[in-house]
Amino acid sequence: MTDTPAAAVEVTDLTVAYRDRPALWDVDLEVPAGKLMAVMGPNGAGKTTLIKAILGLVRPAAGRVRIHGRPYAEQRRLVGYVPQRGSVDWDFPTTVLDVVMMGRYGTLGWLRRPGTRERELALAALVKVGMEDFTGRQIAQLSGGQQQRVFLARALMQDAQVYFMDEPFQGVDARTERAIVDLLKELRSLGRTVIVVHHDLQTVTEYFDWITLLNVRRIASGPVAEAFTAENLRLAYGGRVEFLQRQNPADPAPGDDEFLHGFGRIRP
Amino acid sequence: MSAAMLEIMAIAVVTAAGCAVVGTFLMLRRLAMLADAISHAILPGIVVAFFLTGNLSSPWLAIAAAATGVLTVALVEALTRTRRLREDAAMGLVFPALFSLGIVLIARQAGNVHLDVDAVLLGELAFAPFDRFAPGGVDLGPRHLWLMGGISLLDLLLVLVFYKELKLATFDPGLAASLGLAPVAIHYGLMTMVSLTAVGAFDAVGIVLVVALMVGPPAAAYLLTDRLGALLGLAVLLGTVAAALGLALATWLDASIAGCMAVGVGFVFLVVYLVAPGRGLLAELRRRRRQRWSFAEIMLTIHLLQHAGQPEEDDEARIDHLHGKHVGWTPDFTRTVVAGAVRRGLVVREGERLRLTDSGRVTAGRALSGSA
Amino acid sequence: MTAPWEIYADYTLRTVSLGSAALGLVSGALGAFAVLRRQSLLGDVVSHAALPGIVLAFMLTGAKAPLVLVTGAALAGWGAALLVMLVVGTTRIKTDTAMGLVLSSFFGLGLLLLSVVQRTAGAGQAGLDRFLFGQAAALVGDDLVTMAVLGIVVLVVLTLLWKEFKLLSFDPAFAGTLGLPVRALDVVLTSLLVLAIVTGLQAVGVVLMSAMIVAPAAAARQWTDRLGRLVLLSGAFGALAGLAGATISSLVPRLPTGPTIILAITAITLVSLLAAPRHGWLAGVLRAASQRRQAQADGVLADLYRLAAQHPDPTRAPHAVDVLRTMSDRAGVRTALRQLAAAGLAEADPDGRWRLTAAGAERGRVLAEGTP
Repeated sequence: MTDTPAAAVEVTDLTVAYRDRPALWDVDLEVPAGKLMAVMGPNGAGKTTLIKAILGLVRPAAGRVRIHGRPYAEQRRLVGYVPQRGSVDWDFPTTVLDVVMMGRYGTLGWLRRPGTRERELALAALVKVGMEDFTGRQIAQLSGGQQQRVFLARALMQDAQVYFMDEPFQGVDARTERAIVDLLKELRSLGRTVIVVHHDLQTVTEYFDWITLLNVRRIASGPVAEAFTAENLRLAYGGRVEFLQRQNPADPAPGDDEFLHGFGRIRP
Repeated sequence: MSAAMLEIMAIAVVTAAGCAVVGTFLMLRRLAMLADAISHAILPGIVVAFFLTGNLSSPWLAIAAAATGVLTVALVEALTRTRRLREDAAMGLVFPALFSLGIVLIARQAGNVHLDVDAVLLGELAFAPFDRFAPGGVDLGPRHLWLMGGISLLDLLLVLVFYKELKLATFDPGLAASLGLAPVAIHYGLMTMVSLTAVGAFDAVGIVLVVALMVGPPAAAYLLTDRLGALLGLAVLLGTVAAALGLALATWLDASIAGCMAVGVGFVFLVVYLVAPGRGLLAELRRRRRQRWSFAEIMLTIHLLQHAGQPEEDDEARIDHLHGKHVGWTPDFTRTVVAGAVRRGLVVREGERLRLTDSGRVTAGRALSGSA
Repeated sequence: MTAPWEIYADYTLRTVSLGSAALGLVSGALGAFAVLRRQSLLGDVVSHAALPGIVLAFMLTGAKAPLVLVTGAALAGWGAALLVMLVVGTTRIKTDTAMGLVLSSFFGLGLLLLSVVQRTAGAGQAGLDRFLFGQAAALVGDDLVTMAVLGIVVLVVLTLLWKEFKLLSFDPAFAGTLGLPVRALDVVLTSLLVLAIVTGLQAVGVVLMSAMIVAPAAAARQWTDRLGRLVLLSGAFGALAGLAGATISSLVPRLPTGPTIILAITAITLVSLLAAPRHGWLAGVLRAASQRRQAQADGVLADLYRLAAQHPDPTRAPHAVDVLRTMSDRAGVRTALRQLAAAGLAEADPDGRWRLTAAGAERGRVLAEGTP
C-alpha cells in the first residue's frame, strides 16, 4: 500500500455507546510508534472507554482499530495493559509475584503453569519498578503507589510493543510517579508506544510528546506542541477554562509557565 | 366461594399488604435478600419462645422472633465491619446457621403437633380458618386474620407517620443524617417491622411466601411507577392479585397454597415484566430496536460533519467506504441507515457520495453538544 | 473399650459419612471461587431454584436415578441464574431484588409440584422431600458413585483451568485483553458451581445448601492469603463439616442431616473468625494491645528524654517514677519503664530512679523532637 510504516495505533471512526448513552462519537486518531501519548479530557469524556474499545473490552457501535497495521485480535501479543487500580479487589488472596506472573498467562497457553522462567521474568519486572522487596507480600498490604507499580510490572511481563495505561498516576505517591515516568521514558527509548489516560495538565509537556484531547468526540490529536493549545483545552473542558483563551500554552511565550500554574489540576 | 376460602383469602390479602409495604423499602434500600435472611433467621427465636411458653399464639413468640430478626441484621453488619467478610458472604453465613438451629430444635422435639418442619416452610394456611379468635367465647373470625391484620395495619401506620423520614433516609441517608433524622434508628426500626411482619406472616403462610410477598409485588410495581406513594399502593394491589391467583391455582390443583401463591407472585411479576409500558421487556426491546437505527443515523451525520472541510472528506463520504474502510458497518446495515437518513432529510445522495443537509448538520451538532 | 473410629465399621454409616465428606469437599472448593467472585447469594438462588428441576425431572421421567434428578436440578438452577441476569440487564430492578424474586418463585413452584407429586405418588415413595433439608442417611452406593464422578469431574476441571480461573476471578478485564475467552470461562466456572451445589443437595438440602458454599470459604479465608491454600482449606473444612454432620445426625435420633452439617461448618467458621492467626479477632485484640503498649512506652521514653535533655549528658540524670507520672496523665508508667528496660533503652538505679541508656537517649530524641 504505502511505504510509510503503519502507525502503532490507528483508530478510525470509532463510536461507542452504552445503551442509549453515547460515550464516543466517531473518533479518529493515529499514534506513530515510539510516542508517549496522553489521553485527556473531562470526566465522562470517554478516555477509559477509548482504551477499552481499542482493547476489545467493550464492543463499538462502529469503527475500526488497527495495531501496527492489523486488527487487535491478531496483535494481542504486541499489547500490554494497565487497568485502573480500583478495578480489582486488592483483598484477593494472592501475592505480588503471582499478580506479576499473570502478565504471561496469555502466552503460556492452556494447561501450563508459570515456572522458573516466568518467575525470573517477574522478578526482573519487579526490579524495574523498584518492588523487588515485596515479591511474597499479600497484595492487600500494599500502598496505592505500590499496587500501581505491581500493575506496571505485570504489564512489563507482557513485553509489548504498545502499552495502554488507565490513570496510572491516580492517587500515587511522588516516588511512584517518578518511577512511572522513568519507565515511560525507558519504554520510549526502546521504541515502544505508550498511551496513558492522564489528568494532570501541569505535567503534560514534561511527560508526553503526543496528546489526544477527548470530550466524547475527538477534540485534537497530535504532537503536544501542536495539539495542547488553550483553544483545544477550552473545547475539551468547556467553560471552566475560558479565562485561558488569551494565551496559547503551546506557544513558548513568557506567560506559559504562569498559564500552566494558574490552570492547575483539573480533577474530577 | 366458601366461608373458609373467604377467610383464607382475607388472611392472604392482609399478609400481602403488610409484606408489600415493608418489602418496598427493602427493595429501595437494596436489601431485598434480607427478607430471605430475616424470615429464615427468626425461626430459633420462635422455637425457643414456644418451648418456654408452650403456646404458639403467645405474644412472646412475636417479640422473640422480632428480636432475633434484628439480631440477625446486627450480626451481619458486625461481621461485615470486621472487613474479614463481605456483606453477601456474612448474610449467607448467618441466616442458614440460625435457621439450622431452629430446625434442629424442632426436630429434636418430634411429635409436637404444633410445630413441624413442613409448616415452617409452607405455613398452614389451609387450616387457618380452624384457629379462631374468640375472646370470651365470641367468635370474631380466624386468629391469623386479626394477628396479620394488626401487624399490617401497624406497618401501614408507621409508614404513613414516618413517610418523609423513611423516604429521605432511603434515598439520601447522608442528607437525612445531617438533618438529624437518625438513619440508623430508622434502619433498625424498619428491620424490626420486617421481622415482626415476617413472624406474623410466617405462622400463617410459611417462609417461602413471606419472601415472595416481600420481594415480588414491590419489584413488579417498580416497573409501573416512579412515585413512592404509587409504588406502595401498587405493590399492595399486585400482592393481593398474586395471592388470589395463587389461591385459585391451589384450589384447582389441590396443591400447597403457599407454593401456589409464591408461583402467583412470580406469574404476576412475569406479566408486568413483559408488558409494562415503558419499562417492560417488550417496550425495552422495541426501544432498543428503534434506538439502534436512530443512533446509526446520528452517527452518520456526525461522521460526515467531523470530516466536512477536511482533505479526506471526499473519501469519507462515499457510501461504500462506510462499510468497507471506515465505519465498519455491514453493507445491508449501511443501506438501511442511509435510506433512513435520506428519508428524514438528514443527508442527500449525490451519486455514491453523501452530503449533509442543514437539518443533518443541526442534528449532528445537537448530538455532539448534548452528550458532551 | 472401642475406638471412636470403629463406628465407621458400619457400612451404611461409612457410605453416608464418606458421601457427605465428598460433597463438602467439592462445594467448599468451588465455594472459595464463588465467594471471591461475589456470588455468595447466587448459590442461594441456584440451590432453591433446583427444587422444581428435581421434581419436574422426576415427574417427566418417573425415575429417581440420581443423575436424572441432578440434571433437572442443574438445568433449573442455571435457568434461575440466567433469569436473574436477564431481569437485571433489561430493567432497573437491582440484583438483590431479582434474586429474591426468582428464588422464592422457583422454590414456590418446587413446593407446588412437590405437593402434587406427594398426593399422586406418595411422599415416601417418591422420596423427594429429603431434598428440602437433606437426608444423608438415604444416600446409597448408587448415589455415591454419581456424586463421586461429578465431584471428580468438577475438581479435575478446576485443576486444569486453575490459572485461567484465578485470573478470571481477580481481573477479568485483563484476562480479556490477553485473549482468554472470558465469557466461556465464566460459564464453565459458574457451571461447576451449579454442579457442586446440586450434588450437595441430597445431603444438605436446597434450603441450606448455600451455606455450604459460603461458610467453608469464609472460614478458610481467615487462615490464609493464598488462593491455592484457600481452595484446599475450604474444601477440607467442607469435608470435615460433611463428615461430622452426617456422622452425628446418623448416630443421634431425630437430627436432620442438613442442619447438622450447617451447624458443624458454622462452628468451624466461628472458631476461624475468632482464633485464626493474624486475621482472627483474638489476633486483632492482641495486636491492638501490643500497639497500645508500644505507644505508651514511646511516650514515657520521650518524657524521660525531655527531662534528661535539661542536663548536659542525657544518660547521666536519673529521674523518679513520680516525676514521670506528672509529665502526662498516662497510666501504667511503671509497666512502660519495665518494657523500656527489657529493650535496653532505659535502666533503673538501685534507689528506683530511671535514666536513659545511650540507645534510649538517641531514640528518645527522635521521638521527642521528631527528626532522626
